Amino acid sequence: MDRRNFIKTGVALSAASLLPTPFLSPHIMAATPERFPKPMSPTMDGDVKEFHLYVDIYQQEIVPGFRIHTLAFNDQIPGPEIRVTHGDKVRVIFKNKTELNHTIHWHGLHVPWRMDGVPYVTQMPVMPGKEFVYEFTAEPYGTHFYHCHWGTLLHMQAGMYGSFIIEKPDDPVKKRFEYEREYTLIYSAHDVNFIRNELNVMLDRMKERMYLMKHGRFDKERFATFDTKEEFVKAVDNGYLPPYVTNRRSPSELPQPNWFTVNGKSYPMTPNLLIKEGETIRVRLINAGTEEHYLHMHGHDFWQVCDDGIPVPQPWQMNTVRLSPGKTIDIIIEGNNRGIWTFHDHDTRRVTNNGLYPGGNLLALVYEDTPSQEMKLNPMAQKMGLKSLPVVALDE
Amino acid sequence: MYKSIIIVSVVLALVCFMGGQVTAEVSPEIQLGARGVMSFNTDIKKDQTTNAVSDFSDTDLMLGFRQKMYNKFRGQLVIGFQFPDADSDLGQVFFHQTFIKLDNKSNIIKMGRSRVRTILFDFPLLRDDDALLLTTVLNPFSNGENSEDHQYGNVLEYTHIFGQRYRLQLHAEHFRETPETPGTAETDFGLNAVGFVLEYQVPITQRWNRPFIQSLSIGSNNFLTDRPGFSSEYDQALKNLLFGFVINIKPDPVHFWDIRSQTIYNTGFDEIQNIENYSDLARAKAIGNYSSIRYLYRKMERPTLQVALSGGYKKFPNTLRPTELFQIATSLFYRFGANFDIGIQLQYKDFSGDLKDLYGSNETRIQFSFIYSIDQSWNNQFDERESLLNLEHGYIP
Repeated sequence: MDRRNFIKTGVALSAASLLPTPFLSPHIMAATPERFPKPMSPTMDGDVKEFHLYVDIYQQEIVPGFRIHTLAFNDQIPGPEIRVTHGDKVRVIFKNKTELNHTIHWHGLHVPWRMDGVPYVTQMPVMPGKEFVYEFTAEPYGTHFYHCHWGTLLHMQAGMYGSFIIEKPDDPVKKRFEYEREYTLIYSAHDVNFIRNELNVMLDRMKERMYLMKHGRFDKERFATFDTKEEFVKAVDNGYLPPYVTNRRSPSELPQPNWFTVNGKSYPMTPNLLIKEGETIRVRLINAGTEEHYLHMHGHDFWQVCDDGIPVPQPWQMNTVRLSPGKTIDIIIEGNNRGIWTFHDHDTRRVTNNGLYPGGNLLALVYEDTPSQEMKLNPMAQKMGLKSLPVVALDE
Repeated sequence: MYKSIIIVSVVLALVCFMGGQVTAEVSPEIQLGARGVMSFNTDIKKDQTTNAVSDFSDTDLMLGFRQKMYNKFRGQLVIGFQFPDADSDLGQVFFHQTFIKLDNKSNIIKMGRSRVRTILFDFPLLRDDDALLLTTVLNPFSNGENSEDHQYGNVLEYTHIFGQRYRLQLHAEHFRETPETPGTAETDFGLNAVGFVLEYQVPITQRWNRPFIQSLSIGSNNFLTDRPGFSSEYDQALKNLLFGFVINIKPDPVHFWDIRSQTIYNTGFDEIQNIENYSDLARAKAIGNYSSIRYLYRKMERPTLQVALSGGYKKFPNTLRPTELFQIATSLFYRFGANFDIGIQLQYKDFSGDLKDLYGSNETRIQFSFIYSIDQSWNNQFDERESLLNLEHGYIP
C-alpha cells in the first residue's frame, strides 16, 4: 500500500458513519453503483433502439444469508433500467426462459394498445420458451417502469419489474434544478412464503399443461378463458368452483408482505444516496410493490418535481412523500445540511426484515464530504472496539 | 485422558442443561395432518356374516413442528396418534409417530417412533393394513394381535440422497414384542432389527415430467431373534429381502395409469415346517408378491376418481403341507369434495394348508367408506427438499 492510499484509507475509516459511507474504502465505493439498476445499452437497428430482456428463475439474496427463488429480468432485481430519449423508436425483444407464462406491461408509457402487455386483452401470454417483440415510440417524458402483467400479484413481488426512464434534452426539472447525479429507487414488498408456495404450484401446474398442449389436448376451459359469459356459466356447471379457477392453487389468505426491498435489497444492504454539500440530486421513486410507503427524509425538505413522470406545474416542498402502489414520484434533494440522514418508510412496519427492526426499506442520504471530526465516538463505543459509527447496526 | 474426560463431562453437562430450554426464535412452522377413515364393513367367512357399522381404525392425527437450524439443517418434531383396530390390545389410541428428524439437502436423520421400512411403498387400498400379510414384512416378535406391530417401531434411520433420485437408507429398529408378560411392561428397547433400502425414486413433484419408471427399490429387514439352538447372530437373524417397482404406464395428467409390484422373500428358519401360530407365520420361509394396477382420472386438475385392482400370492415352500395365501382386492374412490372421498372396496382372501387352520379357508370383506384428509401448515418458512424450485432451480436450505 503506498502512502497516498494509506492516508486515504485511514481518513475513510475514521470518518465511518451510522450507515455505509461509500467513501470509506475503494471497495465500498465500487460496490455502491451496483445497488442501483444498471442501465441497459441498446443496439441500434437503423433508427430503432433495440433491447433484449429475458425472464428466468433466479436466486436473489435479499440480505446476507437469506436467499429466495425469484422471477428476474436478465438475472437481476430490479431488471435493467431502460433509458431512452423522448421520441425514440424502441424495440424490446422479450424471451421467456421459464416454464410459466409472462407479458411485459409498460407502466405509464403511451404505447400502441397491442403492445400494452395485458394478457387476453392486448395479447396472448408469452408461453414458455417463446419470444414476443414489443415496439413503440418512447413517450411521454419521465419516470416510468415495466413489469410482468401475467399473474401480477405473484410475478411482480417475485421480482419482475424495472425502471423505464424517458429523458428529453430540454428537461424541465433539470432546467429548474441543476443536478449532475441522479438515482432510481424501486420499492417493493414481498411475502416470501407466498412467492415460494405459489411459484411451486404454478410450476407444477404448467408442467401438466405443457404436456396437454404438446398433444393438442389443451382447451379454453382448462386455460380458464371463455369467449362469452354463457360459456363461463356452462363451465361452472361442469365443475368450476368459486372463486373460479380449475384448481385452487393458493391459500385463501392474501399475501402478507414480510420483506420490504429497495432495488431488490433490504437494510442493511439497501443503497445509499450520495450527495455533497451544495450539490443537488434527483431521486426517482418507483413503487412496484403492493404496499403504500410514506417516505420520510431526516434533516431536509425535498422538492416533489414529478408525479407519475409528469412534471408538476409548481414543485412543492415536503419531507414525507406518499408513494402508492404503481406510482412514480421524482424528488430533488438539495445538499444543505451535512451529515448522515436516514430516508425511510414512516410506516415503520416496513422497516423490518421478517418482523425484525431495523430492516426493510431503510436507507440513508450520505454526505460524502462529512468531516471525520463530526463522527467522534464516545468512550464506551471505543471500548467496545468500534473504529467508527457502525456501518451495520442491527440491534436498535 | 483426564482432560478428555473433563471435556466430555462438561459438554454432556451443557447438553443436559440446554436440553429443552426454549429461547425466542422465529415461530416454528406448524403442520397439521389428519385422516379420518370411517367404514361400514361386512365380513363373510364360510356361512358366517358379521357387520361393523362404524370402523374408524387407521384414523390419525399428527402435529409437526419444523424450524431452520443455525447451519443448513432443518429440525422437525412430529407427534401423532391413531385409533387402532378394536381388537388390537393397544388401547383407545396408539402413538404411532413421535420422532425428531434432522435433514439437509442430502442427509436425513430420524429417531423415535415412526413407520418402519417393512414395506417399500403403499398400495391403493382403503387402509394401510388391508393386505398386511402380503405387503409387509412381518414382525417375528409379535403375536399378531395387531397390525401396528409390523408397521410401526422405534426407529433410528439415516438416509443419504445421491443426486436427487437415489437414496440409501440404513435403518435399525426396536420392534414391539408381544405378548408382554402379564403385569409387566416392556423395558428393553434395544435394537432388534437392522436393514437397508436402496431406491431410485422420481420425486412426486416431477411426476408430470412423465417418467416411465417412478421408482425401483430393493431392501432388507433383518430381525435379531433368539432362534433356539443357534448362537451366531447371523444364524439367529431372520432375513427378509424386498424388491419393488412403480411404473407409470400412462403418465397422462387426465387419465393416469400406473402399476406397482413388490416381492418379499423371507429366508425363514428351516426348522419351521408347520405354521401353528403367528410366530411361525413370520419365521417360516416364504415368498410373496403383491401388485396393483391403478387408474386415476383427474378432472379440472384435481383427482376425481381412482379405480384400482390389486392382488397377491404368497407361498410357504418349507411347510410340510402345501401352504398358500391368495388375495384380490378392488377399490374405487370418488372425490366428493375438497379432500373428501367416498370409497368402496371389495377383498377376497383364500388360505390353504396351515393357514386354513389359522384363518379359515377364505374371507370376503366389503367396505363402504368415507375418508377425509387434511394437510395444513402455518408459519411456513422454507421449502421442501423435493419442491420444483429446489429440484430444478437450485436448492435453498
